[in-house]
Amino acid sequence: MTVATDIARSRRRSLSLGAGRLLLGLCFAAACAAPFVLNGYFLYVLTLTGVFALVALGLNLLTGYAGQISLCHAAFFGVGAYVTAILTQKAGVPYLLSILAGGLFTAAVGAIVAVPAMRLRSLYLAIATLGFGVVLQKIIFEWRSLTNGGGGLALDPPAIAGYELGATGLYFLTLAFVTLGLWGAWNVSRGRTGRALLIVKESEIAAGALGIPAARFKVIAFAISAFYAAVGGGLFAYLVRYIHPENFSVGLSIAFLSMVVIGGLGTIGGSILGAAFYVIIPELLRGIKDAPGLVFGLLLVIVMVLMPQGLWGLVRRLGRRT
Amino acid sequence: MARLAVENVSVSFGGIHALRDVSFDLESGAIVGLIGPNGAGKSTLLNCISGITRPDGGRVRLDEVLLSALPPASVAGCGIGRVFQHPELVVELSVRENLMIACHRSLNYGLVSELLKLPHVWAAERAAARRVDEVLDRLGLSESADLTIRNLPYGHRKLVDLGRALLMEISFLLLDEPIAGLNEIEVAKLRDLLLRLRSDLGLGILVVEHNMPFVSGLCDRLVVLDLGQLIANGLPAEVLSDPKVMASYLGEDA
Amino acid sequence: MIANLIVGGLAAGCLYAMVGIAIAIVLNITDIANFAQGEMAMVTTFFAYWLLDSVGLTWWEAVPIAIFFGLVQGIVIQQVVIRPLIGSPVLSAIIATLGLNIVLNSVVGLIWGHQTYTFPSPFAFSAPFMIGAVPVSVDSVINITAGLAIVLAMTCFLRFTWIGLGLRAASQNPTVARTMGVSISRSSAIAWGLGGLVGGIAGILVAPSLFLDTNLMSALLIKAFAGGVLGGLHSLIGVFLGCLALGVAENLVGAYVSPAFGEAITFIIIIAVLIVRPEGVFGRVRVRKV
Repeated sequence: MTVATDIARSRRRSLSLGAGRLLLGLCFAAACAAPFVLNGYFLYVLTLTGVFALVALGLNLLTGYAGQISLCHAAFFGVGAYVTAILTQKAGVPYLLSILAGGLFTAAVGAIVAVPAMRLRSLYLAIATLGFGVVLQKIIFEWRSLTNGGGGLALDPPAIAGYELGATGLYFLTLAFVTLGLWGAWNVSRGRTGRALLIVKESEIAAGALGIPAARFKVIAFAISAFYAAVGGGLFAYLVRYIHPENFSVGLSIAFLSMVVIGGLGTIGGSILGAAFYVIIPELLRGIKDAPGLVFGLLLVIVMVLMPQGLWGLVRRLGRRT
Repeated sequence: MARLAVENVSVSFGGIHALRDVSFDLESGAIVGLIGPNGAGKSTLLNCISGITRPDGGRVRLDEVLLSALPPASVAGCGIGRVFQHPELVVELSVRENLMIACHRSLNYGLVSELLKLPHVWAAERAAARRVDEVLDRLGLSESADLTIRNLPYGHRKLVDLGRALLMEISFLLLDEPIAGLNEIEVAKLRDLLLRLRSDLGLGILVVEHNMPFVSGLCDRLVVLDLGQLIANGLPAEVLSDPKVMASYLGEDA
Repeated sequence: MIANLIVGGLAAGCLYAMVGIAIAIVLNITDIANFAQGEMAMVTTFFAYWLLDSVGLTWWEAVPIAIFFGLVQGIVIQQVVIRPLIGSPVLSAIIATLGLNIVLNSVVGLIWGHQTYTFPSPFAFSAPFMIGAVPVSVDSVINITAGLAIVLAMTCFLRFTWIGLGLRAASQNPTVARTMGVSISRSSAIAWGLGGLVGGIAGILVAPSLFLDTNLMSALLIKAFAGGVLGGLHSLIGVFLGCLALGVAENLVGAYVSPAFGEAITFIIIIAVLIVRPEGVFGRVRVRKV
């Protein structure tokens, strides 16, 4: 990237903004039309993509912006799923409210997990979050009276204001949350918090010298990303209608991380792409059991070594050429 | 008229006394040079003022506020700007974007407002962008505003670092070896810039430097550290002819 | 009863310690935390299984070959995956090794599937030793002996041999080391080779009791990291002691507090330690000059 491309880039920015907005509008229109065009199975896959995209958006804020590794996002996802499920199923709380409650509760859990993060560097943080993930998963498993432990929870279809949400209804709810989530993430990335996270990632000492308390912002990043993951979990629970502690293991945490990385760490578009990629690949490679794992693993390594900008970076480079 | 007071500050790392009972003052509008041979404790002293290192003995005060009890972000919030030896900028962002980061404390909106991008957030961001433009102008960086840090020459990066400090509405500026790596023209420009900052903004400036001509041409006063102790504090001409100072730099046989 | 728990804990701890030492060697010399260490060991163990099952070697023939394979595997991975990553941020390396973890797991799954295999051990039917009134299984003795041997061998190697000194120099100050004739890339390759070797030994020793499948090492990896972090990843002895402590604590907590929470509680203890002393119990603080 030379000086020339910098100048060209800022000139092109005003042109591409219009084109970008058009593209976004088209995507949104297509997304709204989807349930009337696709069959039940593809709609399910699309909804699942939305759910994972939500988690990836939050994780991207934590890892891409604040530079903090989390290997426990599956646990946040699971806590959100279980809190939503328990409140809706057992306490009769309206579904939307349960999702929100799940999000806020998990945000608080995320803030607690962030406490060691304030002092730990990358590797130790990764291990600590690994530990937290194990502990949270264990708690879900052992608290049988609440969660039914290893037996899992079977859930009735969700309802909003008395109307039962079928596949289409849940799809539109997910789309709504993803749109809100995207908008919120976009605003934060352009606001003081997003910028503060970037300098915290670069150098905590430089951040301190600019009046930005690194510890507080790490906690904020963890809390926001946990909130996103939990909302995703609340939607997931009612998409699959049967949740089990085994769903929310370290493997899933690594999967979330790979979505963000392969999509393009630090980019919002990357979170969506990464989630889509993660859901679509197993569909394409159906039949060969370990092929998806192989592809993801290889891509993780290749992206880190050869294209740190991920899929999103690739898309942008192609877009620049046309 | 504010006063930054270092009072009997002592710091030890393990068995090493990095600073021993160091005391001096810095008033608004004064430019003080902090000199001394390598290992004298100059950076440690700056770190004590910035709140990065807590003194084991003594304290640092800004008028009545006890800075040495505050964490670094709060010290910065009191108006103490710091420019480090090696600028740590966000390399993938542009000059303008890096400077926007420094507007953090002046942007008072909360997280929820930020998520929803409420109107007062738009207004605050525009105001911050205007302040960034002013600082770019003052530093002569306006043409480079949209360049990525990666493509920026070293001298300009140091200016961006200085720009960040200025955007924080500071009353005191601490500079750690600001001219290291700069050519003659850049050094002269920096000297003029610092003098203008003092006269325009009334800043109190503390400069750690090795380069004697630069420091005696710029500073009203020089403070000399050797092996953690303050051995001289006065006008440049006096200090530089002080036999103790010469001995510390040139060795006992000078 | 408690003696049994402690001995069992020590034996388990030694297994964690072997993986932990493999991780520590790689971490200290190349500054990369290898989250794929467990899977690398699992690959080596499957290779040993292939030698035993398909090629028909005896345990005593197959194991040294497999251990050598582990050494080679480490070097190959370092050359292909790790060398391009020199200089990138810590996050990149961690993610790359996580990717490697998934790749190795998938490759083994493709070749051998995910079913469970029985891995033979020449000590399976030996009678236990008696220390006083406490029966100690031969497995435990072997594990503890191997663990002690490895930590001593590696510590001596790093401290007292020329190659070892070169490795330590390379990690502390690559520039100066280069001027002294130490090849950084060769040091890195040796470190990863040693990691693969030690990890392989751990895998082969644990396979008989845990049964061989693709999940063999994943739990061990997490415990190795946890115990290593407890003791301090920058000291081999620290890793060893931390993992021993973890093994014993797991058994004791599992027996006296709650079997279900045995695993979880030890993680909580470790997280608590990290909060209080992030560099681990035996760790040294690395000061950064500003």
